[in-house]
Amino acid sequence: MSAEQFFAELRRIYPADRLLTGRAQLAPYESDGLTSFRARPSGVVLPETQQEVIDTVKICHKYEVPFLARGSGTSLSGGSVPIEDGLVIALNRLKRIIRYDAEQRVAVVEPGVINTAVSERAAVDRLYYAPDPSSGPVCTIGGNVAFNSGGAHCLKYGMTSNHVLGMKVVLPDGTVEQLGSDSLEGSGPDLTGMFIGSEGLFGVALEITLRLLPKPEKYYTLQAAYDSLEKAGTAVAMVVASGLLPGAMEIMDRLSMDAADAAIGAGYPKDAKAVLIVELEGTSDEVEAEKPRLHKVIEESGAYIIEAARDDEHRLKIWKGRKSAFSAVGRLSPDFIVQDGVVPRTKLGHALKEIDKLSEQYGIRVANVFHAGDGNLHPLVMFDGRQPGGLEHAEELAGEIIRLCIRLGGSITGEHGVGLEKRAYIGEMYGEDDIEFMQQLRRSVDPLELANRGKKLPSAEAPALTSVGAHPLEKQGIISRE
Amino acid sequence: MITPETFDELQQAVRSVDRVRVRGGGTKNVLSADATISTEKLSGILEYEPSEYTFTALAGTPLKDIAAALAENGQFLPFDPPLVEAGATLGGTVACGLSGPGRFRYGGLRDFFLGVRMVTGDGRVVFGGGKVVKNAAGFDIPKLVVGSLGRFGVLGELTFKVFPAPATWTTIRAEFPDFKSANAAMIRVAMSQEEVYCLDVEPTGAVSIRIGGLGDAQAVRTDRVRSLLDGAQVEISTGEAEQQLWNDIREFRWVPNGHSLIRLPLNPGQVETAEKLLAPQAGPRRYSVGGNLAWIAWSDSAAADSLLTACRELGRKPLPLIGNWSGGVPSAEAGGAFETRLLDIFDPQRKGDLVPS
Amino acid sequence: MQHDIPTQSFGPLGEPMADAIQKCVHCGFCLPVCPTYQVHGEEMDSPRGRIFLMKEVLEGNVELDEATPYIDKCLGCVGCITACPSGVGYGELITAFRATSEEKRERSVVDKTLRKFILETLPYPGRFRLAATAGRLAKPLKGVMPGRLGDMLDLLPKSLPPAQKLPEVFPAEGERRARVALLAGCAQQVLAPDINMATLRVLAKNGVEVVIPKSQSCCGALAAHTGAASQAKQFAKQNIKAFPPNVDAILTNAAGCGSGMHEYALWLRGEPEESAAAEFVKRVCDVSVFLEKLGLRETPSLSAPTKVAYHDACHLAHAQKVRSQPRALLRTIGNLDLVEIPSGDICCGSAGTYNIEQPETAGQLGHQKAQNIASVEPDAVATGNIGCMTQIETHLREVAFGKPIPVLHTMQILDRAYRGEAL
Repeated sequence: MSAEQFFAELRRIYPADRLLTGRAQLAPYESDGLTSFRARPSGVVLPETQQEVIDTVKICHKYEVPFLARGSGTSLSGGSVPIEDGLVIALNRLKRIIRYDAEQRVAVVEPGVINTAVSERAAVDRLYYAPDPSSGPVCTIGGNVAFNSGGAHCLKYGMTSNHVLGMKVVLPDGTVEQLGSDSLEGSGPDLTGMFIGSEGLFGVALEITLRLLPKPEKYYTLQAAYDSLEKAGTAVAMVVASGLLPGAMEIMDRLSMDAADAAIGAGYPKDAKAVLIVELEGTSDEVEAEKPRLHKVIEESGAYIIEAARDDEHRLKIWKGRKSAFSAVGRLSPDFIVQDGVVPRTKLGHALKEIDKLSEQYGIRVANVFHAGDGNLHPLVMFDGRQPGGLEHAEELAGEIIRLCIRLGGSITGEHGVGLEKRAYIGEMYGEDDIEFMQQLRRSVDPLELANRGKKLPSAEAPALTSVGAHPLEKQGIISRE
Repeated sequence: MITPETFDELQQAVRSVDRVRVRGGGTKNVLSADATISTEKLSGILEYEPSEYTFTALAGTPLKDIAAALAENGQFLPFDPPLVEAGATLGGTVACGLSGPGRFRYGGLRDFFLGVRMVTGDGRVVFGGGKVVKNAAGFDIPKLVVGSLGRFGVLGELTFKVFPAPATWTTIRAEFPDFKSANAAMIRVAMSQEEVYCLDVEPTGAVSIRIGGLGDAQAVRTDRVRSLLDGAQVEISTGEAEQQLWNDIREFRWVPNGHSLIRLPLNPGQVETAEKLLAPQAGPRRYSVGGNLAWIAWSDSAAADSLLTACRELGRKPLPLIGNWSGGVPSAEAGGAFETRLLDIFDPQRKGDLVPS
Repeated sequence: MQHDIPTQSFGPLGEPMADAIQKCVHCGFCLPVCPTYQVHGEEMDSPRGRIFLMKEVLEGNVELDEATPYIDKCLGCVGCITACPSGVGYGELITAFRATSEEKRERSVVDKTLRKFILETLPYPGRFRLAATAGRLAKPLKGVMPGRLGDMLDLLPKSLPPAQKLPEVFPAEGERRARVALLAGCAQQVLAPDINMATLRVLAKNGVEVVIPKSQSCCGALAAHTGAASQAKQFAKQNIKAFPPNVDAILTNAAGCGSGMHEYALWLRGEPEESAAAEFVKRVCDVSVFLEKLGLRETPSLSAPTKVAYHDACHLAHAQKVRSQPRALLRTIGNLDLVEIPSGDICCGSAGTYNIEQPETAGQLGHQKAQNIASVEPDAVATGNIGCMTQIETHLREVAFGKPIPVLHTMQILDRAYRGEAL
């Protein structure tokens, strides 16, 4: 069976303008939010119905063509980079909210629905969808499901998997199945939870049942400036110890403040070495009662400026600054690698000091923005890819940071997923047996390894990244970099 | 029954038996009868770092011990597990996927379960998830085993996320003239911004609402919740009496002798239908978690089949836990292709013998 | 993004192009604000996708002809610039790319003719008036005209207002507070000469003397945005000479022209006039910006309560970052209730000659915009760009809404308020 036949079958489903094969049509699909990796697919299809997705998966299975289902391509781990010569199933046109039920607090959506669109739909009932990745206005629920995306408010409400009750999925051989239901409580094993975060390896979600929450009545957002990163880290531990449970706690260092300032004029204190954002949320009475306690803790933590958001607009500005920090680093450096390690919260201060040392040792600037409440670090390792060895040097440093997180008992990824980028390290976090076990699970679900081949797990035909030198996939000609 | 005392012994035990059925505290007799392995001696908290909001404990650790350790540091299990006083263990609670009424606020057991070290049905030791509150590496094996009734293997070490406990609790119990208006009040409260912990309805038309937080705000918050209750007669409890009220609910002290206890997931839109279907034959029952879960006492003298029929009509699988239940365990029935393919790796010989036949 | 663009080989425009590409981190924040991505939902029709494509073309990996259909689909609304956290100079990139690629393009005969016709007609009010009159007469022939020419005819008004000769100087009323020069605009002079007259009256009312240099030409935006670089340069040079140095500001009252004039330094990169252009650009501003800063001498009032929806012209809001000033001016008007249009950030689909070149996408966007406007049930629409006015009027007619909704320039509304009229 040939590629020609494969495309002939696809053509039976898709008109020419929804089956892309031209060079200029494919090029923009070659990479995602992590531009260090590129791979050229043999085609891109733009299904408009769930049945088209199912049929496409079946055709891929029949012709043994690997496929990648993608949404807005905002992955920061290379998770939505195509498989060389595979098919891309772009789900952006599957963007219907199929069911919205305020009384039951659920919404059933297609995978191409944009994250923030769910909250927008629910706003009239003062409900919202809690997971809020920084790319919320861009990224899709399908992508969130694949990568178990988090956001700034995970401390209290968890990640994507904590907000998905059920799903209709198509497995890599075209089998369609309903997992979970529309109840908060399950029966039998939590297959929905197992599917989420599988980075597309278990198949494609076609319909996703989301849990909606009442929007907190009141937010109280406070920004505190510190003369050292460590003090800000200690402040987080103090807030936690105080018994308060803020909705979010975020830290930005000087470099990331500079970037966000340049991007949106966020107006951070000019001499601060770190700024801590803490947000209380809840009923207005509860928040009022918590406020003085929070202020007391922050004062004791050695903050030299404490500023509360004056109004909603000010609050949004604070968050916009925080959430644009990644992309804004583009203003400081032509290229950067975003890391996503997690360390136990009590080791935050230690981790930051170590990162600082590494940064100095490597002579590479590292900006730090992170979800401090979760111990989820996002060091941005800056480099100029046009300088020979620039990328490799930066990757080496990034690798050291990941290993530091593992050493401290944390995780190599909090919310971006393993993707292409962190596969070298997953074996250091889990034992060889655990990895082998995961491989077996994957092959049992997808014996041909068609669904998002080469991601998440190291495998024979797609070995892991090493932190030094050329990428093994590159050597094999599977991917290419700019 | 083998009673391993170490993780290695647990692994050996699984390898040595033909049929794996685990008993923890034995609080859910329907599911643990005829067990071949006991986790009784696999007990103890291994790590607990209050400022991390996490702890790791062995599967056989009684929830009572965990709750006590957490309480010393002002923390609690936000998924509010049932049968704590009865002696339920951490592992058994995970395997049955049990959360209590308080899970309405932040989430159920699945949402607080971070990592697991377990022995698979074919005797391999695997680790899934992580020990930090946020982790996106690897497959989410912890989620998979929630509610799995042991079919993937035996749980060994479990890591959980915890939260600071509210300083004070208040419960507002409102009596409505009928179930329908009680149910409507429940939906109103669920959609409100009052952030309640528990939201239960009883067939009599009683709605119980639990709020928690700083003492300073409780009075005002109580009044606000009352304003959603259509002027219904309310009874307010605080302090120890309030604690006892929910303890009795979680320990199922309201289930009469000669009844089995059945757990049934629902969605809030099904509650009225469910009540209509159950009313003729069921014993006492509670619609909990804002209408997402029913706890049903079913008399030994009533036909199990009529409950099973009602459940089928609702499209939901019941899970019997306690009593002389004779209707089998529908939640243990084989799943679809995804589950089967996973099971092929976890337990190729299907040694995990879920429930007594 | 890393790139391998041989910057030198693209002359003075090579560097700004490479710079913009390098700044893009492919994060995708531009996707939700891009009108063509909203309509088509595919990467090639997004700013990020186009940047990638332009990079590939400049690097020599993709043939220009393969990429142009997608580059051409860009409206140039530059909504993406507002959304971009990395500060990618998308406007500079696409203008420069169009300029450097035009000579290499192979266009069809119809395309060439149409393009030539547009470039030689629209920038010249006399020719445009003639052509528009002829076109109006040709309306009954629409059925036998090739598609795009037919679409073009659709946009022409049923009748043209009489030409109004602009004075060389329009004196201030009362004490003179400022002296400015005004760009008269080309298409606007023909389609809606009242905008200029209203602008002059409003400025005069506020003590501003206006000079309208006779030797001024078209701003050149149309030429620049369609890749006719040499024509654009010529216009820019002519205007730099034509506008006197001894005025407080050079005002525009069409968003597209204003944003075009702000690009003079880019267009004239590497030319002897480059530094003069940079100085010139600093003095250019939209009439609403100038007036708002100056402050209205007296606050006017409409004769009846009127709900007005303000439409952000892309070339004001995104290209010139002018959002608050026109709104502030409108809010000072008595009896006027200002409302916002849902999804107001998204382009109406007019975009210069876009509705002629990409009628289908332009139509969808226009329809969407009209629906969004109708949803807030205004009595009138205010905006700051003649192109948007024509497009919105056309599509508002299609959206069933009972009563006609006039679309007016902010200056026209101020003018009527000063005269105590209704809209």
